[in-house]
Amino acid sequence: MKIYSCCGTDSITKKYACSKCSESKHEEKEVSDKGTVYSYTKIHIAPAEFADIAPYNVVLIDLDEANAKVTARIQEDVEIGDAVKLSRIENGAYVYEKIQNTSAVV
Amino acid sequence: MTNVYIHGIGMTKFGKLESSLKELLLEASTEALNDAGRPKIDAVFVGNFMGGSISNQEILGALIANDLGLGYIPSTKVEGACASGGIAFRQGILGILSGEYETVLVAGVEKMKHASTPDVTQAINSAMDTSSTEKHAGLTFPGFFGVLANRYFYETGATKEHLARVALKNRENGVRNPLAQFPKPTSLEEILAARMITDPLGLFDCSPMTDGAAAIVISRKKSPIHVRSSSQVSGPTQMQDAVDLLSIPAIGESGRLAYEKAGLGPEDIDVIEIHDCFSMTEIIATEELGFFNRLEGWKAVEEGRTKVTGDKPVNTSGGLLSRGHPIGATGIAQLYQLVRQLRGNAANQVANNPRLALAQNLGGTGSYSTVHILERV
Repeated sequence: MKIYSCCGTDSITKKYACSKCSESKHEEKEVSDKGTVYSYTKIHIAPAEFADIAPYNVVLIDLDEANAKVTARIQEDVEIGDAVKLSRIENGAYVYEKIQNTSAVV
Repeated sequence: MTNVYIHGIGMTKFGKLESSLKELLLEASTEALNDAGRPKIDAVFVGNFMGGSISNQEILGALIANDLGLGYIPSTKVEGACASGGIAFRQGILGILSGEYETVLVAGVEKMKHASTPDVTQAINSAMDTSSTEKHAGLTFPGFFGVLANRYFYETGATKEHLARVALKNRENGVRNPLAQFPKPTSLEEILAARMITDPLGLFDCSPMTDGAAAIVISRKKSPIHVRSSSQVSGPTQMQDAVDLLSIPAIGESGRLAYEKAGLGPEDIDVIEIHDCFSMTEIIATEELGFFNRLEGWKAVEEGRTKVTGDKPVNTSGGLLSRGHPIGATGIAQLYQLVRQLRGNAANQVANNPRLALAQNLGGTGSYSTVHILERV
């Protein structure tokens, strides 16, 4: 997973300019897609384009190898602290899955 | 400090209404103009979010100027998602501060109830960064605050019952406000048992779809209600960009600026309308605005401090949760309630003649926030 860093801040989104130095000199680095669940929700009432898959889980994941978070969809029900990894990228969305039999504490 | 004063207010009933977008706008504006004594208006600003996408109706500014016979004056529609009303009000203030206008009409309107819930949810999603991976993951606005709430529970002693207490308080206030959308009383049990919208937020934790409009007349000429300060900031447009999920910096920073410009602090404020798009949002906003310590807003709810009878009454109108949330009108409706409080004739009038009032209006998941501080002079 690609991470963009500048002025000590990591992000999975690439900005045109850094909010601190206003420059566009982000360092790109490749990090593991593994992380832990920072928080989650199960969406029951969905917008029209996702109505066919509702209810579905959306999670905010704290990446293990960067000081950055990523929003993703996940098949299983999860709790805060669960270890997760990328399953696939689907229609522009990160789709994660639980790493079985392990649990990390945030 | 500004040299701007409020002269008139108007508001339609909120709920499911037969009137068209234009009729709602004209009704609220006429009431505000009459309340102000029919002054000459130099400009019009309108807050609206989905008139184009849901009602196929734009040119809202010109509709007002033309149908209310205001003459060949400038008029502008302002969009800032759910903060459209607060931003329109601020644009009116800036127009007066610039010296260009003496008296301005600001209105806010939305018409949502005629469309289906998936279609409205889809239209509301345009206030996200629609090219982002998190939008493609299916995140929604309620979803953002659901994710926030689960983390808030994890880091504090708060539970779903604290969210329910916010919803219950705002319903109790809404029941006593004849303009509010929901006149029916409820109970903690009913709120906790309601169907889930996005875990842990149930039906009563989420603001409804609403039709309605509100309007306000402001002027450089003096009146008993002074706009002591106005602030607006932008914040992160994606959840995955938040440095701290339990902080909405746009709210905190707009509050800090408004206090600084007004030369006062949260301890001075007597009555408050804040943007409770979700029960969770009200708790976070009370912390960001400095009324309570960080991660302790839920305790203030438990202690009843935000009730009409509390030391920091929040959303005496019923808030977005029970007054209703016609998106573009909300920021103006908050000011309507506060002017009534300062005039001493509000629904759920707070005791001891409040003098200082604060309105905070939020757009997106923290993309925009405005704060206005009003003073009875």
